[in-house]
Amino acid sequence: MTDLLTGTAASVHPRSAPARIWNVLRLHLVDRRTYIGIPWLIVGIAFVITVFIAQIIGFTAGGLGTPDAIEGQRYSWAVLSPQWYLIVVGVQAISFGFPLALGFGVTRRDFYLGTALLFVLISAANALAFAVLTQLEQVTEGWFIDTYMFNALWLGIDGFWVDLFSFFVMQLLVFFIGASIATIYMRWRMPGMLVFWSSLALAIVGTVTIITFTSSWPPVAVWFGAQGIAGIFAWLLVPAALAGFGGFLALRRATPKN
Amino acid sequence: MIEAGKPIFVQIAEQIENDIIDGVIEEETPVPSTNEFAVFHRINPATAGKGVNRLVEDGILYKRRGIGMFVATGARQRLLGARTEKFRGNFVGPLLNEAAKLGITPEQVAKMIGESERRSSTS
Amino acid sequence: MTDTAVRVTGLTKKFGAFTAIDDVSFTVERNKIYGLLGRNGAGKTTLMQLLTGQQFATSGTLEVFGASPVENARVLQSLCFIKESQKYPDSFRPEHVFANAPWFFAHWDAAFAARLVDDFRLPLNRPIKKLSRGQLSAVGVIIGLASRAPLTFFDEPYLGLDAVARQIFYDRLLEDYAEHPRTIILSTHLIDEVSNLLEHVLVIDEGRILMDQDAEQLRGTASTVVGKKTDVDAFVAGRDIISRDGIGGLASVTVAGLGETERTAARAAGLELSPVSLQQLIVQRTTSTTSESMTTTDAWSARS
Repeated sequence: MTDLLTGTAASVHPRSAPARIWNVLRLHLVDRRTYIGIPWLIVGIAFVITVFIAQIIGFTAGGLGTPDAIEGQRYSWAVLSPQWYLIVVGVQAISFGFPLALGFGVTRRDFYLGTALLFVLISAANALAFAVLTQLEQVTEGWFIDTYMFNALWLGIDGFWVDLFSFFVMQLLVFFIGASIATIYMRWRMPGMLVFWSSLALAIVGTVTIITFTSSWPPVAVWFGAQGIAGIFAWLLVPAALAGFGGFLALRRATPKN
Repeated sequence: MIEAGKPIFVQIAEQIENDIIDGVIEEETPVPSTNEFAVFHRINPATAGKGVNRLVEDGILYKRRGIGMFVATGARQRLLGARTEKFRGNFVGPLLNEAAKLGITPEQVAKMIGESERRSSTS
Repeated sequence: MTDTAVRVTGLTKKFGAFTAIDDVSFTVERNKIYGLLGRNGAGKTTLMQLLTGQQFATSGTLEVFGASPVENARVLQSLCFIKESQKYPDSFRPEHVFANAPWFFAHWDAAFAARLVDDFRLPLNRPIKKLSRGQLSAVGVIIGLASRAPLTFFDEPYLGLDAVARQIFYDRLLEDYAEHPRTIILSTHLIDEVSNLLEHVLVIDEGRILMDQDAEQLRGTASTVVGKKTDVDAFVAGRDIISRDGIGGLASVTVAGLGETERTAARAAGLELSPVSLQQLIVQRTTSTTSESMTTTDAWSARS
């Protein structure tokens, strides 16, 4: 009798786990603007502004393209301009995506795996794009106008592969931080938020205090220096993975808000 | 069309009966399907089916395999007979009871009926 | 067994000290339209969330198509849950929601959905945020109907829909259900509007199932008996009394389960019988016992 039951219900639509997870990814991407359109629009606007500012600096500081001017442009955060938006996207992937997916009969597991897969794929695509643009910027000597936006912060220093890896990790971290904050809210609502933010603040203050009181800042700086760019971003995989797996465990028992 | 407080399937059965008595649906012609009744009267199909089935049990309708429900031969005559019995029970009985309460004899009642018949036909 | 879509035994859901669902047991048969009726806050939404695996039960067992729905992909694929407060991503337009649907509902009928979009005059490319309350409800109603899920839940799906749009919903639901029978659980407090659509009625009050009955049995069998108090009392003695009211020497008592012969007997005893609609019946059943005893005392004080 159980066989009959399983038979009829399963014939309803037997979808394999990979197909279900892929469908969750498609659910997020049905509106392409969120993950692709708007971030690249922000990059485009940031680039225009960067060109503008570079021209002003070049005019006042007596010429772009000097080593000083190129070094000066390293301190611009323009290359990271879409990241603030993408943290919010990470939040909304859970806060809007989760109730919608559950209404569509998706399991929490499939939803989370599909969402995580989306984060990984978008992070990989963005990393590839930014690493290539960084290289192009070098080859074209600042897009032929001595304007450097992508060779900024840590990018464009240790070569293509390090750029690719570091950007990937950074992007993944951004998505998972946003997603895990939303997940904590989804699971524990306001009390969860209070506990999370206060313990985070405590942890930061505590760490800074300990380092300061033990006069450990020089060794900490030495340690960071020894890691190199690739090493530091490899360490950042740890919080990304923590946020990723922690989010999974928390969401498995979460209930959508009414 | 559908009134509250009375089983809907009874009302459906009665409506089909009325249509047969009035000659709207003739004998040996098909009646609408259960789903058509359901959609038309805005009622649950199972309820409509119950009303139709009641008429099948009474032999008023019969099923032609693969085509649908048809009105049986002699259905109208049988319905008229049943309705006459019901009329006697529902109207004539209470009428005479009330009359007895007021001290009106059955003969007087018959006379009153005759008079009102004349009055309504002249007016 | 195979006719059972849902089987619930001793189901309880507590939120802290508050018991939302209190030791509930019932079954839902396949391919019927169920009405889940009750007052606001009675536990309708919580019950549906439990049945769709969105909430976790505190105790008791719950089977949907033979297994627990919680994190069960096979079961959940056969469900569609349309709730009043459904959230959509901020950037979404109705077209995005409908584009998604076929990936999650195997029986999705795009042509039917398109027809419903016309029926409800829903603007497909207006951001969801900017839709009116009624248009937002229409999105849910269209998903729920066109998904043709073997078990579909509508939780107060009509918020903001005007009378015309609600009638369209009921008509399309009925037409499509007649063509494609499936199990539908409709939660509403507009009982009069839907009562004729229902085949079975579950009434929930304060987390308990108060009635679990065939809709046709409920309809018609309950009657209000009005007459001289002594006559009425004699007639209703030993019967299932739903409510009692009175003024002076007159009594008005609603009783369940009157057959044809009993009706004739009541009329013969000089009592007046009036029909009770499903809504009246449920209102009478779900008004708390204190108000019932109040009407009884009213009757008493009126008599003395």
